[in-house]
Amino acid sequence: MEYNVAVCVKPVPDPKHYDKVTIDPVRKTITREGIPTLLNPVDKNALEAALLLREKHSGSVTAVSMAPPNAAEILREALAIGADEAYLLSDRAFGGADTLATSYTLFHGLKKIEALRGGKPFDLVLCGCESADGATAQVSSQLGEWLGWPHLWNVFSLEETGEKAFSIKTKLENGHMEWNAKLPLVLGVARELNKPRFTSVMGIMKAKNKPLTVWGREDLPDAQDTYLGLKGSPTQPGEIFTPDMKRSGEVLRGTPEEIAARVVSVLRANGVAIGG
Amino acid sequence: MSKKIWVHAELSDGKITNVTFELLSKALDLAKEMGDGAEVEATLIGTGLDGEAGRLAEFGAKKIYAADDPRLKLYSPVTYAPILADLASTHSPEIYVFGATAAGSALGPTVAARLKTGIAAHCVDLQLNGEKKLKALVPSFGGKVIGEILCPGKIPQMASVKPGIFVKKEPALAPKAVEKVDLRTYAKLLDAKALEPVSAVRRPPSGLPLNEAQVVICGGFGVGSQENWNRLEELARLLGGAAAATRPAVDEGWTGEHTMVGTSGQSIRPKVYIGFGISGATHHICGMNESGVIVSVNRDEEAAIFQVSDFRVVGDGSVILSALLNAVKAEME
Amino acid sequence: MHFFEFTEEQKMLRKAIREFAEAEIAPKAAEWDEQDVCPAELFKKMGEIGINGIFTPEQYGGAGIGFVGRTICLEEISRYSAGLGIAVMTHHLGIYPILQFGTEEQKKKYIPDLCSGAKIGGLGVTEPGGGSDFIGQKTAAEKKDDGWVLNGRKCFITNSHIADTTVLTAKTGQDEKGRTKLSAFIIEKGTKGFEAGRKEHKLGLRGSVTGDLVLTDVKISEDALLGKEGGGAKIGMEGIGEVGRAGMSAICVGILRGCVEEAVKFANERVVGGKAISKLQSIQFEVAKIRTAYEAARLLTYYAASLKDAGLPCANEVTTAKYYSTEAAVEASKRTMDLMGGYGIINEYPVGRFLRDALASIPSGGTSHIMQVIMAANTLSGFQA
Repeated sequence: MEYNVAVCVKPVPDPKHYDKVTIDPVRKTITREGIPTLLNPVDKNALEAALLLREKHSGSVTAVSMAPPNAAEILREALAIGADEAYLLSDRAFGGADTLATSYTLFHGLKKIEALRGGKPFDLVLCGCESADGATAQVSSQLGEWLGWPHLWNVFSLEETGEKAFSIKTKLENGHMEWNAKLPLVLGVARELNKPRFTSVMGIMKAKNKPLTVWGREDLPDAQDTYLGLKGSPTQPGEIFTPDMKRSGEVLRGTPEEIAARVVSVLRANGVAIGG
Repeated sequence: MSKKIWVHAELSDGKITNVTFELLSKALDLAKEMGDGAEVEATLIGTGLDGEAGRLAEFGAKKIYAADDPRLKLYSPVTYAPILADLASTHSPEIYVFGATAAGSALGPTVAARLKTGIAAHCVDLQLNGEKKLKALVPSFGGKVIGEILCPGKIPQMASVKPGIFVKKEPALAPKAVEKVDLRTYAKLLDAKALEPVSAVRRPPSGLPLNEAQVVICGGFGVGSQENWNRLEELARLLGGAAAATRPAVDEGWTGEHTMVGTSGQSIRPKVYIGFGISGATHHICGMNESGVIVSVNRDEEAAIFQVSDFRVVGDGSVILSALLNAVKAEME
Repeated sequence: MHFFEFTEEQKMLRKAIREFAEAEIAPKAAEWDEQDVCPAELFKKMGEIGINGIFTPEQYGGAGIGFVGRTICLEEISRYSAGLGIAVMTHHLGIYPILQFGTEEQKKKYIPDLCSGAKIGGLGVTEPGGGSDFIGQKTAAEKKDDGWVLNGRKCFITNSHIADTTVLTAKTGQDEKGRTKLSAFIIEKGTKGFEAGRKEHKLGLRGSVTGDLVLTDVKISEDALLGKEGGGAKIGMEGIGEVGRAGMSAICVGILRGCVEEAVKFANERVVGGKAISKLQSIQFEVAKIRTAYEAARLLTYYAASLKDAGLPCANEVTTAKYYSTEAAVEASKRTMDLMGGYGIINEYPVGRFLRDALASIPSGGTSHIMQVIMAANTLSGFQA
């Protein structure tokens, strides 16, 4: 048995530096200067799940990204971590895409890869459940719809129960759901699913010789303009701003007991009953 | 025909979730602003829905589209999404909102994809623009940036909103009008085996749900130890409130993820929030900045949390925690 | 053309090792230092990601990415834990002589395990008589029918208590002019009579083990001899000269980067009189000095490593780099402490550890005085720009 798994990955600005994000007041764009780009952290969990399946059985792991040209760097990283091949869907025509247009582009990328393999379909498409920057968490579900495959989001447990059959657990606010599923599937995976491996030096050396293909608009002839890029996106961005959440605070001073007494009075003043 | 604003009502163990009522309350405000007799309606999927449908009417839903079948007891995108998408195609609501819960965060975009319309994710506010179109405010970069999202050319204009963002208002009492969805055309889907929900396991709530608590005692990495954490929980209990956490405190294993507040956790708006050892990363602040009064204790006088606090205590969290715990105990005697 | 620029692979390597160091080293470095324990278990993980065999050719289980790559690893590790840095650098020092002077059989026997993380390496040269009195060492190997018998004591040996495979030098008689002949041997942990002895209590570079190796009638077979009989001096010196000192230099580049990053963090966060101290010129001068020291040490160190990768002589460049980087790390960590005022000496901040590690780096692989003697000799005998 072999598993051919596609993993959708995305470059994101390093979340450690989000406090540095500012808005250009004139151009109304987000300034992310000096913030390094990373492979979206939870996408590594998706990649890890794919690699574990390939290592247990056989098959292939294909990393796919729709992103600007410099995303080749994070695809190279995916190859170094262990993916067999990588595809970057990159074109101005794809730019400004919302989640529907993004998932549509990814869908056509996946179809084209399948066509190149003689029509052999992917068994499984894995995504991180959300990106660190936009965090809409919608692409995996919508990609599932474009593919016409069942899909689940926030997957934290994935156990094989038979040939291309899985028992899956997804997170709920206060618990979880269990599912029985047969492939093909699209899964948005949570960080609790596994612990991603570190990139190895040997992997970096091997990645040099692995194929990284860049496709533009003309490489996806079956895709329709009505669904691509900014123009094909039903949602359109408006203004952006940084919320002002500042409060003018009073500093409480004194011994811990004095401070505690003040906090108790603050609680009381705000209608919190203490001692019945 | 008057415009409609739809709310998808989510069930948890057969009961309507709180976020649904929050969304209905907001939808009523939006309908009023929209004018022209705009109405709020709801969609509901599950089994044995009669009682819960009535609850939706109580909170102002003029009409409830209910898909009621034992096979729909558990949420599944495979069954729920086609039913909801078909309903929306037929009735053309102007706006359709979902709770950005674990299920709703997946179901909303699934329905949107089927309708080829747009959905704004995890909104922190919903407004109407000058043309009475939905203007959704969406956080990005962990809440550091808020962006407006419009869906000018398609209906429904969709959005998902996290629990705790809107305030659940008093019942608005509409007469109960339920339209049952004819499920015969979905027979094949309902019996499909490619993806089957087996069970939903929910932890019995320990204490008060976080987003219903009037007092939240929140701890961050600076709480320092499990022992201190237990005292923090004791304080929350004594005050009749709930204990909450930041991501680092959850990562330390002191508490579960269900207590996490912030962009990847819950949004809360208690009357009083008291934070111990929290640095104030933006993604946490976004989840608690609507709190009535914010009291923060941190040993670092430069901690970002102080910027959004009404009362600032520069000091050792565990010392202040002990003092406060003692003071509250003394008051109770 | 850039005078020095990382290749794409080297940039990826740096990112990968940085991620590893941030996840696996940074959170525990202070604890290793405080408890003075070497996290020997990490060698397994480091082996898996390729750090252990970083410059070893792939055919022996290494990553084959060379000495610039090794320098990157040591900088990234030592940014958070110079103690672990010296343990890794010494492990490399254990591999290098086998790789350079071993028979094909010896390479196949020892090196793959040293790369994978199954085994830890070490090098034992220094004796109580002092490391610089290289030829005066007293440990002796006596030829017996089918092998050698070793007796003596090595001291100040890094990885003494954790190494599985150690390369040792010992006297094997005298040449025709009456000079001591040294030979090198590969000895494995558990060999009868070969024990780790006293463990040193160090000022810095804690989190690495330094101690004695005691040899009492240690019988080893003929094939434990590394290189030619009498070749031990060259084997020891080349390793220490081109791999050991280069490693110490890389470790101090890591310490220096730590100084820059800690200084920046503190200067931006610490507010006095309503503004961050980074707005004060007096603080800016210090930051500029620390940064300059880092950049200079970095260039010297990576340049020397790139010469080694190119197969060019580099002993002099390594000596310069080692001398400069270790001294610069001492000065810069002291500066960073000064910049931090009272906070500088609080152990919750890593800067005090940086200073102790930097000080301990000076004698490791030859003191600054020894470096100066070597450089002076080289310069006086024929300096050419």
